[in-house]
Amino acid sequence: MNRVVVTGIGVVSPVGNTREEFWSSLVEARSGIGPITRIPTERLNIRIAAEVRDFDPVQHFDSKRLGVMDRFSQFAVVAARAAIKDAQLDITDEIALGAATIIGNGAGGMNTIDDAFLRIYGQNIARTHPLTIPRLMANAASSLISMDLGLKGPTFTIASACASGTHAIGQAFQMVRTGQAQVALAGGSEACITVGTMKGWESLRVLSADTCRPFSRNRSGLVLGEGAAIFVLEPRERAVSRGAAIYGEIKGFGMSADAGDITAIDPDGAARAISAALADAKVNPDEMNYVNAHGTATALNDKGETIALRKAFGDSADQLAVSSTKAVLGHSLGAAGALEFAATALALRHQIIPPTANFQEPDPDCDLDYVPNTARNAPLEVAMSSSFAFGGLNAVLVLGRA
Amino acid sequence: MSDQPTAAAKPAAVIDDVRSIIAKSLNISVDRLTPETHLDELGAESLDVIEIVFALEEKFDITIPLKADEATRLATSDKSGGQEVPFSTVGDVAEIVEKLVAAKTPKAAQ
Repeated sequence: MNRVVVTGIGVVSPVGNTREEFWSSLVEARSGIGPITRIPTERLNIRIAAEVRDFDPVQHFDSKRLGVMDRFSQFAVVAARAAIKDAQLDITDEIALGAATIIGNGAGGMNTIDDAFLRIYGQNIARTHPLTIPRLMANAASSLISMDLGLKGPTFTIASACASGTHAIGQAFQMVRTGQAQVALAGGSEACITVGTMKGWESLRVLSADTCRPFSRNRSGLVLGEGAAIFVLEPRERAVSRGAAIYGEIKGFGMSADAGDITAIDPDGAARAISAALADAKVNPDEMNYVNAHGTATALNDKGETIALRKAFGDSADQLAVSSTKAVLGHSLGAAGALEFAATALALRHQIIPPTANFQEPDPDCDLDYVPNTARNAPLEVAMSSSFAFGGLNAVLVLGRA
Repeated sequence: MSDQPTAAAKPAAVIDDVRSIIAKSLNISVDRLTPETHLDELGAESLDVIEIVFALEEKFDITIPLKADEATRLATSDKSGGQEVPFSTVGDVAEIVEKLVAAKTPKAAQ
């Protein structure tokens, strides 16, 4: 069994498209949530989101390649290139054959679907863009990363709604650990801030009209986001021998299904995934230092997640630092787990806990240490990133200091 | 708030539509629904309430300000005053619908 480390991080996010900008925004609690600018909002009741800004696809791709790229694929490929560059990994022919590309995505090419359906139903135009289908397929991001970087090993997409990114990293971790892959590009990507998707979320009545306040009593719901985070995972042995800078070691991965409600978190199911991840990592509850929470800022999630953490960590729960970075990043669904894993890895590297921004009022039902509003210097050895998705699908990664 | 006189004063059409929409959504007989019936007694969960609200909005062409988080408490907030109004009995629901229908009438007449 290989020990598996993270040697490269690439992000495209609402608070910056470089790792440095992303991290400084998290530490300084600078939120990427604001008025929606990229789509018409006159028919929307909710007009805020955490949009990726300053992202010009023409600077990254030629027009031929852009023809097959939905926004979620653009994010994914740009983040994957950045991750490879960050890892300073030379993709030799041999490595290419054993390189896996496992990407999480919740919704597929929603911008493409929205545009196509607007033409057909809204504008009564006879035909859609000829590359509508390859653009919108859920595996487009994985395929385009493999094509762009010449990675020829196992490549596929994992869809588990808001846990997609975490499941993808977990799957890639297991493949590198067992030697099924020599290296893996793994993470999540999502771009589904479209009129059609926003109307769907509005109807579910979970969106906030002002901002995202996780674990805060005056929370008002979640805010949609978008973006991508992609990682280079490789055996520790190779990373050390080639002198790579290591962000951290993935120590364990846990999964579970609630087999209950389609949208509500089940504290038992969430706690089972956390405990499975701790067992896989051989980490005792009292050894955990930092939890990057799912923390969506719906009452059901925040209270349910607090119960789950208490169940899984017992008395050690009171020693945990728990923060939700969704107040800064919004909820980017299939990318959320990956962006949050990036936050977790950077927390370990910098030995700084990013805060829960927008925290205004303690909630008696949420009684853990949520690191409100101000980043904290702390000795961090072990951290955890958790995702609890619609459909009752839970995924948790445990990461140790390099 | 859902006492007998208020409920009895409702125009028959609204309460009947509300009853039939709730009955259909929860897959129960409309006869079980009186203005005093509590939705949670009928086993209505958060997503059921959201579906009921959606059906009412479609039927009456109104917007009911209710969040999923609030649906689990079976209460909604009054847009004007910002205070919570009950959303727990069939009569409460009919009352909210009537208010919202009345509020849009002047606009429709323009």
